[in-house]
Order: sequence, then structure tokens, then C-alpha cells
Amino acid sequence: MAVLTEFDETVEDTQKGKFLTFTIGKETYGFEIKYVTEIIGIQEITEVPELPIYVKGIINLRGKIIPVMDVRLRFKKEPREYNDRTCIVVIDIHDISIGLIVDHVAEVVVIPPENIVPPPAIKTGFHNRYIKGIGKVGNEVKLLLDCNKLLNDEEINTLSNAVE
Amino acid sequence: MSNDGISKEPMLEMYLFEGNLLVEQLEEIIIKCEKDKKFEMGDINEIFRIMHTIKGSSAMMMFNQIGLLAHSLEDLFFFIRANQNIEIDFVGLSDLVLSGIDFIKAEMNKIEKGSGADALADELIGEIKTMLEQMKISYEGQNAAPATLANSTPDGQKALYYISSYQNPSAEKATKYCVQAFFEDDCQMENIRAYMLVNNLQEIVIEIHHIPADIIDNAASADIIRETGFTICFSTLAPYGEIESILNQVAFVRKMEINQVDDYPAEFKVLQSRREIILDEIPQEYQQTLTETVETGSTNNRQQNIISVSVAKLDMLMDIVGEIVISEAMVTKNPDLVGLQLEGFSKAARQLRKLTDELQDIVMSIRMVPVSMVFHKMNRIVRDMSKRLAKEVNLEIIGETTEVDKNIIDHLSDPLMHLIRNAMDHGLESKEDRITAGKPSQGKITLEAKNAGGDVLIIVRDDGRGLNRDKILNKARQRGLVHKPESELTDKEVFAYIMLAGFSTNEQVTEFSGRGVGMDVVAKNIEKIGGSITIESNFGKGTEIFVKIPLTLAIIDGIEVGVGKSRYTIPTISIRESFRSDDQEIISDGDGNDMIMIRGQCYPVLRLHRMFKIKNAVTTISDGMMVMIETDSKAACLFVDRLVGEQQVVVKALPKYLKKVQGIAGCTILGDGGISLILDANGILEGQLA
Amino acid sequence: MVKSVLVVDDALFMRLGLKTMLEKNGFQVIGEAANGVVAVEKYKELHPDLVTMDITMPEVDGVEALRQIRAFDGNAKVVMVSAMGQEVMIRSAIMAGAKNFIVKPFTEESVMKVLSKL
Repeated sequence: MAVLTEFDETVEDTQKGKFLTFTIGKETYGFEIKYVTEIIGIQEITEVPELPIYVKGIINLRGKIIPVMDVRLRFKKEPREYNDRTCIVVIDIHDISIGLIVDHVAEVVVIPPENIVPPPAIKTGFHNRYIKGIGKVGNEVKLLLDCNKLLNDEEINTLSNAVE
Repeated sequence: MSNDGISKEPMLEMYLFEGNLLVEQLEEIIIKCEKDKKFEMGDINEIFRIMHTIKGSSAMMMFNQIGLLAHSLEDLFFFIRANQNIEIDFVGLSDLVLSGIDFIKAEMNKIEKGSGADALADELIGEIKTMLEQMKISYEGQNAAPATLANSTPDGQKALYYISSYQNPSAEKATKYCVQAFFEDDCQMENIRAYMLVNNLQEIVIEIHHIPADIIDNAASADIIRETGFTICFSTLAPYGEIESILNQVAFVRKMEINQVDDYPAEFKVLQSRREIILDEIPQEYQQTLTETVETGSTNNRQQNIISVSVAKLDMLMDIVGEIVISEAMVTKNPDLVGLQLEGFSKAARQLRKLTDELQDIVMSIRMVPVSMVFHKMNRIVRDMSKRLAKEVNLEIIGETTEVDKNIIDHLSDPLMHLIRNAMDHGLESKEDRITAGKPSQGKITLEAKNAGGDVLIIVRDDGRGLNRDKILNKARQRGLVHKPESELTDKEVFAYIMLAGFSTNEQVTEFSGRGVGMDVVAKNIEKIGGSITIESNFGKGTEIFVKIPLTLAIIDGIEVGVGKSRYTIPTISIRESFRSDDQEIISDGDGNDMIMIRGQCYPVLRLHRMFKIKNAVTTISDGMMVMIETDSKAACLFVDRLVGEQQVVVKALPKYLKKVQGIAGCTILGDGGISLILDANGILEGQLA
Repeated sequence: MVKSVLVVDDALFMRLGLKTMLEKNGFQVIGEAANGVVAVEKYKELHPDLVTMDITMPEVDGVEALRQIRAFDGNAKVVMVSAMGQEVMIRSAIMAGAKNFIVKPFTEESVMKVLSKL
């Protein structure tokens, strides 16, 4: 069952402060909606040898081949079986398209800048690297991700260090 | 033209496109003429025309420095054209023209990149004018009278008066008129426009005179006309209305007065008494050059049947055709149809398949471009380097009509340039050394292209000093690059070391090469387009570099195989055969490597499921299939679960985000929407075998 | 009534430029040629209302092509396109029947001025 939603990203200004949130386990993460091109249900992934463990392979999106990354594995969490709530969020940054596999997509929220605080300066947490800020929505906390870092970490640039 | 609101973009693109084309042609001609030590009439004409065109286009686009430079070269060759017997300093002239070419190329490059054409050509133009002056002086020394051409304006001659009509008995009944005309400022060549007025009136006049009278031959009359106007007096039987309409046919007339007169003014009476007929004369030399037909060598003729298409459009066309091929497969091989007997449908599907195949073939051929363009660029490099290194070199080009995909050709130029530079700098010995070695003093470099199966082979061959196997091996050993027992290394393998990064065995770094950053970059660039390089050499005799590149990257024939739930496509061209085997036939060595004997030869067995870590695959040999793949030098048997079928696939690149996986050339979308990874035989064999 | 034009010039750039100007001003370019031989062939095939003819071309130059076209069709309306310094050739062209001439580099305005008179 595919949930196909497309977001219009033409007018950037109206998208400022809008975040798409998704859950992995207990935590809710989010990133700016301007990077999201679409959300699809999980589909058949073709494996490609010698990729890092969190890059699951490639999918055929209406004729375009895009790689998919399992965010759980990226954050070194326990892997989970995919079910029909699992979604692939397709993002587009700097002409790179990539699909992010998430447990499930929550909602689009507007978080005004006042409600965003920088992440704590603790170097220990692994996924601190990817967190741009902490957003407060009501009583809840959303961990806002830096898409660039997610994709372009040094780790990725030297994929030869992949741990199999 | 630039202020007319016509979009500059397409014009700019065309200017650069044509400009670059013309400059390349010009370069080729000049180098050839310099080598042959003569300028054929056809060559001169073409050079003249090229400079004339560049002058015109540059003026239109307001690139004045380029225009002026082209103009001065045009004048130079105009003189050479008209005075064929003059002595030409071939080397000096070629250098000058090549400098001009370099200037224009550099400026066009700047324009293309968006910065302006801002260099001044003064110095160069000065040099060209000096050469022209010298030519004129030495010509006058050679011959009695210099040829006068209509291009130059005779100075200070008093205007002579001619009469351009005949007397007619009915002159008495005709009406006399006087017309004074002024032309618009800047309309240029007022004398010719004045001539047009006279010419147009010829039909209706009985007699006609005008001042200034020598409008045809004397370009200075244009100035006179600009200042004092043009006066015509004539007699005619035609009605006023007709006179007026005829006179109005000429454009750029600012002011015109037509007056009927009883008698001509005094100045014109002088003219009436002298009757000489104007000879319709064009200077003899000029006449020749007008009608002389151009010999071959002009690619302009070819362009009659060729149109230029933007590469972007071609790419789009390729993409769509690729999608059509995939869609066609998705329809005809649709899982929904499995098991159904559909005769009418199958027939129609076959016809569709036939047509899409044809369409694909045609589109592919559109993208094919002969390597000649790239090959000919090398002429210039050889020429320049042979001067700087003081080595005489002959560049032989073979098979330039061989065609290669446009995508690939763009990536060939740099690597080839480097290989040629290397051959010239390091390969070929100095003249003295060559003579000592008993070789001809002129070195020879051969650039050859030929088709070899589904690939194109480009060979760079030199008859220089060759590669020193021992020296290379030593260096490789020093750097810890030798991983095999040295006795087992073939020559090819030893020579291949020079393509590793940082490997130069040169102690000295020359201007052109020797930094060791060359060959590895060349190798990488060739790899990028899916090709490979092999080096063969004979110490003392010469070196041959073989560059193999695929004909095209876009569509290939392949066999689909399955391993686990993954599907792979192996290019048909890499497959020698496939067969079923069983565990008995497999021989294992102590290290866990498998082998199999086929017709007396031993081949490694590569289990794909192990190589690519695929789960749930067949592991028992007798349950799977063996596919023997091969490249030039290596062969192996791939073990897969099953063979699915043969099909033509459209190659799609793997997303750039993923690093290149050795052994995977790309992927393709199958009829059911799934993805099949395309295997690269070269990559697999290089990666898995020592 | 839309006038049809045959544009003759060995430079791609010029043909494109003229074509753009002409079409912008309501003319219809029905053919192009890059040398005199093809120019005459195309004239005979297409019968354009007007012809713009470059002077310097390979094979057969503009003046000769003009002569041949005029020999074929005495009413042919041909406008020469020349550069500075080609007075002799223009004169020959006019004597051979060219209706007018334009000098490079030209502006849209001057081209139209000349063509509107034909």
C-alpha cells in the first residue's frame, strides 16, 4: 500500500519552519520540508554489493534509480523488519536524490525559530552529529536533522571504510 | 544587431560553435601548408574565407578585437591570393596565423565562460601588418609594377570624367532633369549606391551624366558624395512618376531633389562633349580569383547535408528512446501475459519490437561521431612540441573515420593529448640519439583507430626508445607495488605499473610531463568511460599504447541471470559460453579458490553469491549454471543460480551517491519494474583474479 | 502577403542571424544555402520571392550565383550581402541585376529598409 504524497517545493519561503517528522523507535526526528520530494511506501529494494550496511540498495522510482538508506542503521540502532507502515522519504539535496527508510511518517509541523534550541554540546552521542537543533512542539521534542550531514559525512566519502 | 532585441543567446552559441569549427579548420590548413611548404590556391581561398567570415560574425557580435585581428589576416591573405608568386616565409607566416588562432580561441573560451572578450590584439595586428608591408616591399622588388586591386584606394587622383551613354536622335523631344541626392549618414559605400541610382535609370534615359563621375572605380568618390551629394542630369521620355518611382527604389537616400531643367548646368556641358564609353572592366587578376573553383579540403561542402543539433536535445532523445525500449519490454514481457496464448498480440508485439530496434539503431547512429576531430587536434600539438623540443616528428593518422559515441569522444581528447605528449617528450629520442641508433632522424608517431568487436581500439604508437622493463620493475619494487613473484610478471603487467599514481621514473620534470601525475589520470579518465589501457613496448624500438573504449555506453545486449532473488545482466559480448556442471568437476586449491577444467584449460570459478554476499542463493554446482566470461587477457566461470533470458537493455548509471563498485557497470530496469545490475567483466576479472 | 526568402551565406552564424531578423519582421525563410551552386539549385526548386546573397562563398560565389539565377528568372529579386571593401564585386552584382545591397555588420533596421523596397 503506497502512500504517495508530493510536496511542492517551489516557493521556499512558505516552507521555512516547516518540518516533516518521522519516528524511529521512541524518538521523533524531523527535517526541513524543502528537501522532501515525495513519500512512498516501502517497495522492493535491489541490493548492491559492497555498500555500507545502512545503504540498503537501490529502488526504481518511476524510471529513476535512487539509493535508499535505512536511518535506523545509520543511527546504529537495532534494525527492524519492514512492514506496511514503513515509508521511504525521498529527499533531494544538491542534485542528489536519496530515499530514507523510516519506521513511519508522523506529520508536517511548523516550528517557529523561537522554539528551536541548539543541541547540547555533548560529543559522545553518535547522532548528535546529525542534529541541527531541538524543536519543541507542545510537550514533545523533535530532533531536527541536518540533511547535509546525514548524507555527506566523511564516513560516506570514504565508503571504503564500510563495516560489513 | 546587438541592440535589436533579438535574443543574444542562440546567436552567441552559434557564433562560438561556428567560430570554433572555423578556427580548427584553419589550424589544420596552416599546419598542412607549413609542412608542404606551399599554399595551394584552394587553401588560400579557404583561409581568406574563414577570416572573412570570422571578421563578419565578430563585428555583428561586437567582439571588435577579434574582428580587427581577423580583418588584418584577411588583408594579408588577400594580398597573397592576388600575388601568387611572392616569396613566403612559411614558418613565420604559420607562427603568425597560429598566434592569431590562439588569440581567437582564448577569447572565445572567455566568452563561453561568461567573462568578456577583453584582450587587445594590437600587438598581433601590428605584427601582421608588418609582415604584409614586408611582403609588399619584396613583391615590388620582384616585379615591375605592383598589382593594383580594387581593395586599395588610389590616392589623390583627380576625378576623370566619363560619359555613360549614347546619343539618340530623339534626344531633342526628351525632357531634361537634374537630380541631387544625399545619402544617409553611415550607410557606407555611397559611391555604389549612387551607381545604383544611375544603373536603375539606364533603362529610361537617353543620355545621362553625373558628378562625381568615377563612382565605380574611385572609392574616394564616396567621401565626395557624402559631403556634397550626388548630382545626376539626364534626359528621358519617361513620365515624372516613373522617374520618381525608379529613383525611390534605392535605399538609404536621405534627401533627393528632382528638378526638370531646360538645360544642363555648366559642369555637365563639359561632359557632353567628350564621349568615351566605360569599359565594364574588372582587373584581370581579380577576375581569376572570382571564378576559380575551390578544390577539396573544404568541409563546407559536407555541411550541405548536415545540420547541427544541440547535444542536449540528442541526450533527451536518447533517454526517451531508452524509456521506450524499457516500456516495450514491460508490455510484451508483462507478467500478466504469462501462460496466455495471444497470437495476434504476439505478432503485433514482434512488429513493435522490430520498430523499436530500428529506432534505437538510428538514434544511436546519430550520436556517433568520427574520431577525426579529436585526432586532428593532435597535429597542432605535435607541431608545437616538435619545435620546442627540436625533434622532427611525423604524425600519421589511420582510421579517422572510425565512429564513437559523442559522450565518449569528449573524454578522449585529454588522455590522447597526454599520450602524444609523452611519446614526444619521453618516447622519441633526440635527432642525434636516433641517428646513433641507426633510426631515421625523423621520429614517427602513429595514431590509429579501428573497430574491434563491440569496442573501439585506439593505438598510439611511437618508434622511440621504448620502455625499460627493469627500471620500471625496480621502481615498482621500491614502492612496494609488486605483489606477485617477479618471474611471473608479464611485460604487460610490468608496463602497467607506470599507470599508477605518482609513478614517474623520470628524474627530471619537463615542461610537458614527468611529474608522474599524468598516466594515472589518463588511466582513470579512460576507465571513467568504461575503457582500458594496455601498454606494449620493445626496448630500443618503440612503444604501443592500446586504448580500448566501448562503442557506446547506452544500450547493450545482455544475458539476464539470477542469483538468490537478485538479478544481474551480463553483457553478451563478454560471454563465451554457458553450461551446467557439477561439484565433481570443481577443483579446489588450498586457499579456497575453485577451478574447473574446460577442454584442457584451467579456469577460475567465481561464485557470484560469495562475491556479492547474496543470501539464499544456490550453492550446489549442479543446481546452478556456469557462465564463462572473458576479456582480452583473462577468463573465468561465473557460477549463478539460473539463466533467465537474453535481452537488450538500456544502461543506466548507478546513482552517483554510491561509490563505484568494481564489477558493476550500471543497472537497468526490467520488464517488471525490477532492477538488474549490469556486470562488468573487466572489473570482475581484474578484481578477483591476480 | 507573406514574402518568402532564400538565405544564402556560407556562415551558419549569418544565416541564423538573418533568418531570425527576417522571421521577426514577417518574412518567411523557405530555404538556406551555403554556396552558390546550392543557391541556384534551391532557387529553381523553391522560387522564393526574395534572395539574400552573400558575396564571398566557396564553389561558386555570390555574384556568379546571382548571374545564374537572373538568367533563369529575369524577375528574380536578389539583395547582396557584402563586407566593406568589396565595391568592385557589388558593382558587378548590380550590373548583373542585384536589386540592392547590405553591408556587414548590418542592423535589423537597415536590412528591413532595403527589403521593404523590393
